[in-house]
Formats: sequence, structure tokens, C-alpha cells
Amino acid sequence: MELDYPNMIASIPLFARAAWTTLWIAASGILLAGAVGLAGAFCLYLELPYLARPIKAYIEISRNTPLLVQLFLLHFGLKVDALPCAVMALAFLGGGYMAEAFRAGLEAVERSQVESALSLGLSHYETVRHVVLPQALISAVPAIGANVIFLLKETSVVSVVAVTDIVAVAKDLISLYYETAEALVMLVIAYLILLTPVCLAVWRLERKVKYAVFGR
Amino acid sequence: MRKLSGFAAVIAAIIGFSGLPALAADAQDSIAAIKARGFLKIAVFSDKPPFGFVDKDGKNQGYDVYFAKRFARELLGDENRIEFTLTEPANRVDLLESGRVDIVLANFTVTPERARRVDFAKPYFKTAIGVVSNDKTPVKKVDDLQGKKLIVIRGTTADVYFSKLSGIELVKYDQISDAFQALRDGRGAGLAQDTTLVLAWANENKGFSVGVGDIGNVDPIAPAVRKGNTELRDWINDTLVKLGKESFARQAFDATLKPYYGNVEPENLIVEGGNF
Repeated sequence: MELDYPNMIASIPLFARAAWTTLWIAASGILLAGAVGLAGAFCLYLELPYLARPIKAYIEISRNTPLLVQLFLLHFGLKVDALPCAVMALAFLGGGYMAEAFRAGLEAVERSQVESALSLGLSHYETVRHVVLPQALISAVPAIGANVIFLLKETSVVSVVAVTDIVAVAKDLISLYYETAEALVMLVIAYLILLTPVCLAVWRLERKVKYAVFGR
Repeated sequence: MRKLSGFAAVIAAIIGFSGLPALAADAQDSIAAIKARGFLKIAVFSDKPPFGFVDKDGKNQGYDVYFAKRFARELLGDENRIEFTLTEPANRVDLLESGRVDIVLANFTVTPERARRVDFAKPYFKTAIGVVSNDKTPVKKVDDLQGKKLIVIRGTTADVYFSKLSGIELVKYDQISDAFQALRDGRGAGLAQDTTLVLAWANENKGFSVGVGDIGNVDPIAPAVRKGNTELRDWINDTLVKLGKESFARQAFDATLKPYYGNVEPENLIVEGGNF
């Protein structure tokens, strides 16, 4: 099968414009998810009364329902507009995964670290700020990195609520010109261009953290 | 350099794989193959009454389905020898190209872009593009849409038509039912789709009406087969001509469309004997 290369090249500006939408949704969604996840994990770590149960329920709900379903519920059920809906759904899904990543990091900090810090006269705040958090974040880096990549890829379903991301562009090209192979090859290349730098950055960060902790 | 060539290899592999489906669809849709298989594979809509829809008993119904059943009776002697595949507008070409269906009977309007990828038989229906809108904010002409949002279904003639105009922001959905839900939720000033379909929908939904129904040309709607399958296309053409002698399209209209278009003249919609 011959690919229609001139048409593929002509579609680059369309993909480039839509790539900003994809990136914007991913970046806002991931940042919000990180904030939600960190807050949730902290509440669980501090064993706050009344909050632990709802947070655990949230983590299970967000991680055990597909993003597609969350999008449909927000857009058609709760009547949220397309773009905010995409960001909110991504933050909702990501929040659960991020909370688990941060929780694992926090739990990896040994009790003796906290006890030592407190017995040295550090306040609770200082203990968390200078002892627990730095170590927890370092252990959480691989899981958070994996979540970032996962969430960026999950944006590929947001076009069901009429957001013009790169998947929507590919679907448009297929439905207008019926050049399915061309549009899908362009889509794969677009995702590779978006994801490869993120993957490399995560990989470098992991190596740096590993070097800082283990010295090799 | 080594890293770069690895990346190039990945791209090359993707491009290489994209050639595979074309080989897989080889002549499983010849008339001899269909007779040997014992049933026709036909793509129809699931949510586009009165053309193709699934009724509350789970049965395929509608004008397209009425024709599909007759085709099965003509070719295989039994109107039930059909495997229906439910499709969305944007999937219709791919279903034929990948060999998953023999015929698409899904309100498929003939356009030059589509005719490059599939072979259309003679038409059995015709339509223009219409815009349905809320009665509180009626759209009476195309200019009323300037600077506003218009809901379309991806891959339809309305999508193609309005994609070529400027000044109207398109809101695109894949599912017909999602698009109409979006119109109910006020996500656009109107919804553009085949006049025949929006008329039927407005008839069922109080508070909405079709303010403009004659956008674009009156286009033929025809069965489609895989590009190059002239044998099956010619058989459909001969069958449509034969059915025209018994006014089959009129019977199909009376059986399926009449309840939706009580006061519309059938001659404005149906095409008898493939005579457009």
C-alpha cells in the first residue's frame, strides 16, 4: 500500500495545533492530579479522622473506573463543558494513582527516621518538611514518572466529548479523506514526539535520584 | 546516530504494517464466496431512526434494513441470512476496506471523496443537509450560524460541507446519539445533518425544529461495496432496477418512514429503481 505523503505533510499544521491542546489538557490534568494525590496521601499518612475513609473510597473509585466513563459522566451527566471536563476527568483519574504513588513513598520512610527527628527536637512540621518529605518524594519518583506518562497517553480518549486533540484530528482526516493509514501513522508519530522527551526526562530524573541515593 | 536509526526503524515498521489490511480483504466478498458462506454481511446504523436502528426488542429496523433484508432474500432466498454489523458514520469506509462487511447500507451519501475509496451502487434514497435548532433560538439560514457553534457528526456530509466554510465553529461527535444529546444540552446553536434525519428527529422531540433544510445539493444515497468489487455492485444495481418494477422503495417508505414524515411527499425522498 502506497501512503499519500504530500497529504501527510500537509496535515502537520493541524496536528501541531492540536498537540498544544493535548499538552495543555495533560499538563493541567497532571498538575491537578499531583496536588490531589499529594493532599490525599498526606491525609492518609497523618491518619486524619473522618477523612481517611472518603479518601480511600475516592482512590478506589478513580482507579477502578475507565477515563471514558468519567468523561461521559462529567460531560453528559453533569453537563460540564468539553475542555474543563477533559482536565477534570484526567485530574480525577490521576489523583487516585498519584495518591497511591505518594502514599507508597511516604510509607517507605522508616518510623525510626521520624522518631529520631522528633527526639532531636524538631517540630512536627520540621520533621515532615526536612526529613519525611524529601525521602518520600525520592522513593516516589519512579511511580510518579510512570503516572505522568500514563496520564499523557490517557488523554487519547478525550475526543469523545468533542475536544479537538490529536486523536480528533486523525479521526477528522480519516472521515474527510478516508486515508486511514496515513492519519494513523501521523498520529503515532505525533504521540512519539510528545512522549519521547517526557520518557527521557523521567529516565534521567530516575537516574539522578538513584545516583543521589546509592552513589552509582 | 545509532539511536536515530533505531527511531527510523520504528517508523518504518509502522509504515510497513499499515500495508497489511489491504492484503487481508482479498475477495471474501465475491458473490460465490457469499453464497458459500450462506449469509450476507451488511453494515447498518444502530441509532439513526428511521433508517437504521435497533428497536426495543433488539431487532434491526428501518429503511436501510428493509432493503438489506430484501437483498438477502434475492441473493440467498431467505431475508434472515444476514449478519448485521452496527456502524458509526466515520467507520463505513473502513468496514468495507478491511473486508468485515460485504455491503454498507447506512444512509451513505455519495460524495467524490468517498467514491475514491468505495464503489457506490445506484441510489435508493436522496437528501440535502438540514439544521435543527431549539425553537427559542431558531436557525433560519446558514448566516445565522456565523460566529456560533454548530454540532456535527464526524464523517458526515454535513461535517464535510461545513468544514469548508469559515466563521462557524464545529463541535464534532462520533456518536449520533451523543450529538443530539449535546444539542439538547445547548452545546451549539444547531445541529447539521441530513435533512431527512433531522426532520425525523425534530418530529420526535418537542421544542426543536428544522429551520433550514436545503443546504448543499440534493445528494444521492446508495449502497456501497468494497472498491473494485464490481460483481457485487452490478448485482445490487440489477436488483434495484428489478425492485423498481414493483415500487419497492415506495413499499419500504410506507413500512418504515411514513410514521416519521407524515406530510412529506415520498417522491422528495425515495429513489425508485436506481433512477436518480
